[in-house]
Amino acid sequence: MHNKPALFGWPELISVLVLAAGFFVPMYTRSVLVYSILNQAFIGVIAAQSVWIMLRMNLLSFASPAFMAMGGYTVAIAGQHDITNALILVPAAFLIPALTSIPLGAMVLRLRGTYFVLVTFVLSQILQLLLFETPGLTGGSNGISGIPPVTLFDMEFGSNKMVLKFACGLAILATIITGVVTRWFRQPFAAIEENEVLAESLGLVVWRYKALGFMVSAGVAGLAGYSLVNMLLTAHPTSFESGSAVDFIAYTIIGGRATILGPLLGTGILVYATNLFGTHGQYAQGLYGVLIILVVLVARGGLTGLVQALLRTVIRRKA
Amino acid sequence: MKSTLLAAAMMALPVSAFAQNCEMKIGAMGPMSGGAAQWGLAMLSATELAAAEVNQTGGVKIDGKMCKVVVVPYDSKYTADGAAAGANALAAQDIHLIIGPVGAPEATGIKPVAARNDQIAWNASYARNALETKYPLMFHIGPGPGGWADPIIKRAMKEWKFSSVALVAPNDQGGTDTAIVDAETYRANGIKTTEEYYQRGTTNFEPIVTRILASNPDVVDTASSPPGDAGVIIKQLRLAGFKGPIGRLGGPGTAEILRVSGGLDVVQNFYWFETIPTGNPKIPEIDNLYRKLLGKDPVGGSAVWADLPAARLTLKAVQIAGTDDAQKVAAVLRTLPVEDPNIGQGRWGGKKQFGIAQELEFPFGIGIIKDGKDLGVTQQDPAAE
Amino acid sequence: MQFLQATIIGVSLGAQYALLALGFTLIFGILGVVNFAHGGFYMLGGYVAYSCVAYVGLPFPLAVLIAVLATAALGWVFELFLLERLVDDHLATLMLTLGLYLVITTGAMSAFGPLSMDFRFPVGGSLHVGTLYLPWQNLIVLGVCLAAIGALWLVLFRTDLGRGLRALADDRAVAMAQGLRPKLLFPMAFALATGLAGLTGALVTPILSLSPGVGDPVLATSFLTVILGGLGSLEGAALAAFVVGLVEAFSSVYFGGSIGALVLFVLVLLILVFRPTGLLGRTVRGA
Repeated sequence: MHNKPALFGWPELISVLVLAAGFFVPMYTRSVLVYSILNQAFIGVIAAQSVWIMLRMNLLSFASPAFMAMGGYTVAIAGQHDITNALILVPAAFLIPALTSIPLGAMVLRLRGTYFVLVTFVLSQILQLLLFETPGLTGGSNGISGIPPVTLFDMEFGSNKMVLKFACGLAILATIITGVVTRWFRQPFAAIEENEVLAESLGLVVWRYKALGFMVSAGVAGLAGYSLVNMLLTAHPTSFESGSAVDFIAYTIIGGRATILGPLLGTGILVYATNLFGTHGQYAQGLYGVLIILVVLVARGGLTGLVQALLRTVIRRKA
Repeated sequence: MKSTLLAAAMMALPVSAFAQNCEMKIGAMGPMSGGAAQWGLAMLSATELAAAEVNQTGGVKIDGKMCKVVVVPYDSKYTADGAAAGANALAAQDIHLIIGPVGAPEATGIKPVAARNDQIAWNASYARNALETKYPLMFHIGPGPGGWADPIIKRAMKEWKFSSVALVAPNDQGGTDTAIVDAETYRANGIKTTEEYYQRGTTNFEPIVTRILASNPDVVDTASSPPGDAGVIIKQLRLAGFKGPIGRLGGPGTAEILRVSGGLDVVQNFYWFETIPTGNPKIPEIDNLYRKLLGKDPVGGSAVWADLPAARLTLKAVQIAGTDDAQKVAAVLRTLPVEDPNIGQGRWGGKKQFGIAQELEFPFGIGIIKDGKDLGVTQQDPAAE
Repeated sequence: MQFLQATIIGVSLGAQYALLALGFTLIFGILGVVNFAHGGFYMLGGYVAYSCVAYVGLPFPLAVLIAVLATAALGWVFELFLLERLVDDHLATLMLTLGLYLVITTGAMSAFGPLSMDFRFPVGGSLHVGTLYLPWQNLIVLGVCLAAIGALWLVLFRTDLGRGLRALADDRAVAMAQGLRPKLLFPMAFALATGLAGLTGALVTPILSLSPGVGDPVLATSFLTVILGGLGSLEGAALAAFVVGLVEAFSSVYFGGSIGALVLFVLVLLILVFRPTGLLGRTVRGA
């Protein structure tokens, strides 16, 4: 009943290529500012994709900081025991949040869409509390600092350039995972997005797909956490505050929900814009608010939707 | 004919006018938005003043050229990743010297990144590891609670009789690091101490107040709780009938505390840590100096005065070293005597607490409000090492 | 005695949370909208009342009234011009209100700065009975909250307007077939809810503190309360508010600040496991 969908489409390919271009940036500039903005973007893209996966089923998740924290702290604690090999840590950063999401999902996914939003919000607050209450494991309010850099085969990703390359690699990995999963399960996800009750009545085992989506979303967020902790060489509670979920949601919505290019474009533009604000950082949130309102009211497809519409009118004119 | 006149005119111009194209940038970092914005902006004002003073005398000599000092601000938002991103952003602009950041999470975030970028930074936090031997380019605007808690407690014990204290602080790094040191110091003075931590984001402290009062302390100390929270705690303590003195070891924001709690009549008996001895008349002079040189008002209150010596000393070290290379400037800094034209004599401290003596310690202030009267801020030297 | 004190505190907290939760659940029940900006209206209520008192010199009760009217008006306008177009798309309305919240907080920060204001409740002092205490301001706020809850109940269950709102909540298609006009009633419902949030803000911020960030915890508490009580159920919201208030008071008094918060969250999660629609909730159509 299920035609095998193509595992990779144009949007996914473009995303991977754009991200891969990041590998070459250190060849053209030594500007640490460019590295810094790019690095923030690489981390943001992964987190935005985590939000996007759930949005494919019309579920808005505020739990990304919680799962990021799980991935990040896993890496930090491993670092304290001198485990720095990326081949071990990347799967760990993905699997630990993914596995944790199973019991959480069992509780939370039964709830209808709106409940889901509220409960994921509460989840990220709970995680912050847990971080404070377990100083022995997580360093409590001080976090874990001075983590040794990532190692892969013989390379040590210590310098700014290498950190950027690692972040780029993680972003590409996350994009591939996100792309493959959302393509493979495109039909069931779309059915759930369209009308969950109807889908269920037609025989779709809805909870399985929701659980899968939640797991992959959590794992991808874990990778984002790894990237963040690697950039800072510190796992600190302030990096995973529940408020940051709003940023990742903004990147995805403003970028556009239709394809995987949306989170990419949204993250790129908004991270750049936030850096422009500099000392007036508090106004950045106001800008997000205005943009979100505009997108929702006027440009339903987000920025990528606008670009698509523009291309269509240009092509139509040429025809 | 005209060309020779032009050439003669050009030769007559002073040489230094051309050399002024050279700029040395220095960074000022701290939270500049949100609840702690005052402290980051204070760091900026202090750095701007130090830069303006140096520029007035022609600037700093870097590699033989006289360069103008330019201040570049960065908002680190009181988070670890904010400070880390800031260090990178400033490094991108070839900035090796950073005055700031302010908060404990920021200090944690900046240390490894500044080390990687070969940058000097001056954190003003009360983190328990504000300085570490493995980060020799990190300096501290101090002293931290290790230096001022003891003298303040002893002074408070002279004004009021008490034998037990309840410390209240938020459960984030800024709160716990300070409260733990406060508690140790109270206990070392023979005072029975309990510590109460509240969840950051709490707005109504009545349950906590009830809990605190159940153990019947003589004094309640708000440690380094944000001024908004501290004000509410004091307000609710008084409404609950608590009549004892209230302490604040410590952190800036007394004005906001008085605003939120309801003023001197409500607070009645209060002792607090003031970063700078505001009683000394030469110190508020700093604000006038700022206005004269920059043509506007400084932002941040007494925190500006506390941050200024770090900026001034750093620029002095740059002038002596003749470069803004962090390692060389740091080497000179460590040898400079600690003295400031407005604030007076201080010293390098921190060896006992952190293992590395790179903390600037100046006399600080102890503020007392007794029986509803503001007795002012008295000068106090930091505790002997 | 501590037990009694904790109960008193819990009840005061409960009354405040109830006003907020009722507004929140009203919007959800009738419009199907999750109002992310609820905390923002609370904060605005505080600032409007503060501005009336500090800049215009009005007496406090009048300032509170103006705050209510201002937040209700803003809610009305927002619903009519922005939300109304997308009222059936739950995700879109959620995003709209989120965007509004971000704009409101940034606006307050630009206008008033990040620090707390000097905003005092006109009545000070406490009522002391033995070792128990009840600040007069808490008693007044409790009274006003209970009166507001009562008035809300009256409006919803004893007036035609209220009946119309409840009918729309129950089954919009049928209600419209019966002649009720959502275009008129929806903005009114939204305004009612935001007015309640503004009232709570105007009353409570002078007791606590007023700064641009005070809306965030309000949102979290409203979410928690409404999840517990069941989305869409007014009785559930009221009941849950008092439960949350009491649990918060007791766990903070007996276990201390951070553990107290954890206890509350875990409790809510557990209840959700056994009763996924909350204490008194029912599966709302299309939720």
